[in-house]
Amino acid sequence: MVEIRVDRDVCDGLGQCALVAPEVFALDDDERLVVAPEVPDGLAGKVAAAVRACPVRALVVEGA
Amino acid sequence: MVGAGLAGVRAAGSLRAEGFDGRLTVVSDERELPYDRPPLTKQVVAGTMTGDDIRLAGEAEFGARWIRGTGAVGLDRERRRVRLADGAELPYDGVVLAPGAKAREWPGAGVPDGVVTVRGLADVRRLRAEVAGGADEVVIVGAGFVGVELASSLSGLGVKVTLVEPFGAPLRALGGTVAEVVSEAAGRAGVALRLGVGVRGFAAAAGGRVRAVVLADGAEVSASLVVVAIGMVPATGWLVGSGLALPSGRIHCDERLFARAAGGAGGAGVADPAVVVAGDAAWCEAVRTAEGPVPLEHWSNAAAQGELAGRNLLAGPAAAEPYVHVPSFWTAAFGLRIRSVGLPGTGDREVVEAGSAAEGAVLVAHYRGERLVGAVSVNQGKLLPGYARRLN
Repeated sequence: MVEIRVDRDVCDGLGQCALVAPEVFALDDDERLVVAPEVPDGLAGKVAAAVRACPVRALVVEGA
Repeated sequence: MVGAGLAGVRAAGSLRAEGFDGRLTVVSDERELPYDRPPLTKQVVAGTMTGDDIRLAGEAEFGARWIRGTGAVGLDRERRRVRLADGAELPYDGVVLAPGAKAREWPGAGVPDGVVTVRGLADVRRLRAEVAGGADEVVIVGAGFVGVELASSLSGLGVKVTLVEPFGAPLRALGGTVAEVVSEAAGRAGVALRLGVGVRGFAAAAGGRVRAVVLADGAEVSASLVVVAIGMVPATGWLVGSGLALPSGRIHCDERLFARAAGGAGGAGVADPAVVVAGDAAWCEAVRTAEGPVPLEHWSNAAAQGELAGRNLLAGPAAAEPYVHVPSFWTAAFGLRIRSVGLPGTGDREVVEAGSAAEGAVLVAHYRGERLVGAVSVNQGKLLPGYARRLN
């Protein structure tokens, strides 16, 4: 089970993760990050790429 | 590894992650350890972040030998050697070229003291020292990303800022609607805009220090400090003589990031399986419009190309993967959060598809004929993934 942690102090809502893995990440109306409660099967690679695409290193994946 | 910016660091990381356990040497002409560039003109100028906060890698990382403060001056592909400024030669089996770019200097002669460019951490430190030392009237020449971000950060520090843009509009690469939003926000922040007027030169005080910027119409804008922000030039002068193709000074690479040798008649020849390219200095066949490759000078491109360059160098050309990337860019200034996907500057018309310039929240799509080529958001970031999907 993959779990994604967001460091809310660091996340700036840049939305780069949402470009890489829109199935899991999105921005709300105020450009705050929203993460899907569960990561669909087969998306571990995309989620890892989204983590690497974060310019402020706000994302951590656990249990991958 | 030549270059220790984001692209170089990502390439080193992916080489190690893919199991490369041989000797790795990182060469950089900067003394600083690798650092992240986007915060430089924003948080670091504003003083909310320091050099330590933007560190990308420590010297212990990657099990690498670091050569800092000594640049590469030559590449001998036949003997597989990188030549350094101190005369040393580094043999290689593979080399990653991620030399990045330098700030473009003012082209005229007779530039007085107090006229600076901003590209690296040392430049930002000097800028902050100037402001702390009493520089309270700053003229910024060039309203691209660096100029606009600096105008925003410096005005936030209480500095009186004038932003001069000879070509008419701030952030014009993002289109007219966004330029209008940015102009208004800059005005509200107290930044004086001089748009559509060229710069003739600089006037100096008796001591040799700049006292004003002289505009093309003869007007003088008084300044205790001038920042020239007129773009960047790829740091590839040292590759002249390497036999690599260097269109407009950038390193031509195939869609798998292998550097191409110069061909006949200014064209490009075969790819060198021992040389990969990443970042601001790359001219990659996978990043293109209908007319041909375009350079990308953005964080996300440097990160993604760096990773793939390391992986592909190790894999070799036969097993290497092509570079697939939807360009993405962000900036923040005057309270505006600006993002783009694709290549908005390559369109021939723009369409407001959500919000409006008047409300300071707008999504502008850029088309070339009927085809979407890019989209820019001001405070409408949640819409961009949908556009990115259409660009894929």
